[in-house]
Amino acid sequence: MRRPAGTGALRTAILMGTAAVLLAVWTVPVLWAVLTSVKNEKEVLAYPPTIAFDATIKNFREVLTGPTNIVPNLTSSLIIAVATTILTIVIAVPAAYAFARLKLPGRKPLGFYVLATQLVPPIGLIIPYFLIMNRIGWMDSYRGLVLIYLTFSLPFAIWLLVSYFEDIPREMEEAALLDRASRWQAFWHVVLPQARGAIGVTVVFVFLNAWNEFLFAVILGGATVKPVTVSMYNYINTEQTQWAQLAAAALMAMLPVIVLGIAAQKHIVAGLSAGAVKGVTRR
Amino acid sequence: MTPAERLAVAERPERRFALALAAPAVAVLAITTTFPLVYLLWQSLQNINLAMPGMDRFAGAENYVRMWEDRRFWGALGFTVVYTGVTVALQLVIGLGMALLILQIPRAQWAFRIVAIIPIVLAPVVAGLFWRTLMLAPDFGILDFAFRSLGFGAHNWLGDPRLARVSVIAIHTWQWTPFVFLYLLAALAALPADLYEAARIDRASAWRRFVHITLPLIRPAIVIVVILRITVALSAFAAIYAATGGGPGTATEIINLYAYRVSFAELSLGYGASAAVVLLVLTMAVAALLFHLRRAG
Repeated sequence: MRRPAGTGALRTAILMGTAAVLLAVWTVPVLWAVLTSVKNEKEVLAYPPTIAFDATIKNFREVLTGPTNIVPNLTSSLIIAVATTILTIVIAVPAAYAFARLKLPGRKPLGFYVLATQLVPPIGLIIPYFLIMNRIGWMDSYRGLVLIYLTFSLPFAIWLLVSYFEDIPREMEEAALLDRASRWQAFWHVVLPQARGAIGVTVVFVFLNAWNEFLFAVILGGATVKPVTVSMYNYINTEQTQWAQLAAAALMAMLPVIVLGIAAQKHIVAGLSAGAVKGVTRR
Repeated sequence: MTPAERLAVAERPERRFALALAAPAVAVLAITTTFPLVYLLWQSLQNINLAMPGMDRFAGAENYVRMWEDRRFWGALGFTVVYTGVTVALQLVIGLGMALLILQIPRAQWAFRIVAIIPIVLAPVVAGLFWRTLMLAPDFGILDFAFRSLGFGAHNWLGDPRLARVSVIAIHTWQWTPFVFLYLLAALAALPADLYEAARIDRASAWRRFVHITLPLIRPAIVIVVILRITVALSAFAAIYAATGGGPGTATEIINLYAYRVSFAELSLGYGASAAVVLLVLTMAVAALLFHLRRAG
């Protein structure tokens, strides 16, 4: 059966049209932020909005060097995200290996425990943390925020790594053990080098989530430790919103994760869902 | 020694090594999550109000009784269900539709893959702020402008209770549909092509091919993505906080926002804790149900 002439072209046109609309829906908010960030005060407030204008980098200069600049906040976020990532990897990698490969006593209940901790709603943690941190004097401190960030990064990293460890072939590890390598040597010299890619993906995810976190930061942070997600509110107050500076600050704040996200694009979705596909509770 | 005993002895070093590797993680999780949750439970039985320091006292079930009678709590619970149900359904339908569409235009796939990553990596608070200011603000946002230019008139997107609910649902859907899209695109791309060929030869219509071949094959992927999206929607906070703060009034309060405002704006940490306990129980129950369904299916 042949299609009537023209149907194919119409079908293509409809497909392309729909695709273009969808592309617009998902790009416009971010593109508009980019445009707004390079406008001057007058053009920002122009209504109807203008697309052609004199571009300026003034807003970015203001956000990076002005009186309310976000450089301390970027630094805070960097310290917290790096510390969280390092601690998470150091603790999660051995645990994931034990879950995935070794005869771990109580493996199933422990697996469920890790899974359950991942599902705990953040609001259920921040309320007790607020009182506890107040009592022990850890408010507005790096250690306080890094500690609470472990609550979401650790279960997630363990899940993710278990699914990767399960995919690494056993042969080399078994050969090393036959050669009288200790368990630790086999783990350190044979398994870890093969898991480098998996650890890399985990680093990206943990860093991203720690960088983007807001609820814990807004409550446990303060004048000294104020992550960049919270500092967005420097540009919004009751009298007025500094639209262009807000857009510039938000873009500066999101630049690291956008670059990281696009660079690690292929692994993002596979990684985010790996835990659910396999996970600790399998077997 | 019986063989079983000998095996147990032989495995002893491995078991010990495994425990040593897993112990730090379990210990850290016990200290950072289990202990605070026990504290939360205790807190929910106390009357703690930061505005009245020194007046803390044991309240038993008082907070829970008060919550049972609090219409605002029931409103928040109701909107939590609506918010979760609607955003997840929209993400699934739009995401699956997009994935099927993009499979038809292989040349455009790379563009969609990159564009889809950006909302996913954006901090929810930034997504909420972008929408609140750049998209929806009256006399400023471009979506507002687009609606006016198309003759739909001016709307107070985040100031009108009904529109505000629609807006926060739209924001969450905007941010997370790309995740469902990318996930299902990967699942669809992994399907064997010869199945389709056979169906095409049998002259099955596109719709029938979809319902009878594609859908059953990607069912496991759909189930997983739905579970993931439900758990994320149940812990949503920052985007709504940034867009409406739970308002106008209490219109866009999901339980997270409700517990937050009660605890940190009204400073009743005991009462807020009891709301958080309810959310915790709800989340665990939904997760248990979903995992059970997944096993059974």
